Amino acid sequence: MPTLHIVRQSAFNSDDFAQCLQVLRDNDVIVFIDDGCYNLHHKLMNTIDSEAGIQLNVIGKHAQARAITIDEALYTVIDMNNLVELTLTTSRVITWQ
Amino acid sequence: MTKPLNKLTAILNAKAPYSNAAGKDALDIALIFGSFEQSTSLFFQGDGVWQLIQGQDGAIISVKDYLKTFAAFEFYDLENIYICQESLSERGLTADFHIEQVAVLASKEFADKLATHHTILRF
Amino acid sequence: MKKLAVVVTTPPYSNLSVTALDYVETALKSGVELVGVFFYQDGVIHANQQAHIASDEYQCIKQWQALQQTFKLPLHLCITAAEKRGLSDEEPNNIHPIFTVSGLGELVELVNKADRLVQF
Repeated sequence: MPTLHIVRQSAFNSDDFAQCLQVLRDNDVIVFIDDGCYNLHHKLMNTIDSEAGIQLNVIGKHAQARAITIDEALYTVIDMNNLVELTLTTSRVITWQ
Repeated sequence: MTKPLNKLTAILNAKAPYSNAAGKDALDIALIFGSFEQSTSLFFQGDGVWQLIQGQDGAIISVKDYLKTFAAFEFYDLENIYICQESLSERGLTADFHIEQVAVLASKEFADKLATHHTILRF
Repeated sequence: MKKLAVVVTTPPYSNLSVTALDYVETALKSGVELVGVFFYQDGVIHANQQAHIASDEYQCIKQWQALQQTFKLPLHLCITAAEKRGLSDEEPNNIHPIFTVSGLGELVELVNKADRLVQF
């Protein structure tokens, strides 16, 4: 019963992503969109338990537009179709903005 | 009118009360959902916990004090109020609130409770 | 088939609204049923006929109009939020005709009709 977390704010600017991490549960799904893409290189990423089965996704064009490099070993690059699918395949959605 | 469904809605409050309208906009939704007999819970996290702290007086800075309306939650059947303990601790706050019947939860319990809801709106 | 509802809280001059439109358009084109979009907070500014975005910038309103017409997509405007921001459905009405004047009761309806609600 995973939750989809849509993260669209930079943690360098706001507390939203930290709050998202506070309620993250095992096997939840995160999608970084808009300014949320800046979090890919934020130290908060290191606090995510690699054993917790969290899926980390980023909308490719949102990162590319911002000149953010993506480590594809850590993040799955997705498009808007995938985000729509994730909305329907997860159990609930929280937008962190 | 839509037939009543057992759908749980959560309203997650994340902003301090006075410098923007988020708390009031969230409250308006909560009261409407309550009056339409929708099962609705209120969550307070981050700076949102300030909305519950005792001793505030918006009138000093010309805010129409919507926080007073929180006293009417019970009348609207809004009986599930959850507050994030970590958010209180980070701000050096204790559980001294202007309404009663609230539950302070550690983040694991807060997260688990939130995940029992179908729809989550965050303001 | 699961049904979606969308809430838009960001104004037309923000790139965040481009993302919301992208999401809605993608969902509709992939055949997902969208029961409606609810405009709240600064999202209601989309409906202001007097708001002018420079012609070389992204025109949200044209996109909403295209989606509303192609997919019969209901676009609900929270009138309380709209009136606070200078919109009015009384003469002289300045609300774009593609929007349906609604209240928060409509949001209750959308939450009940939809399997998932996504906030932008």
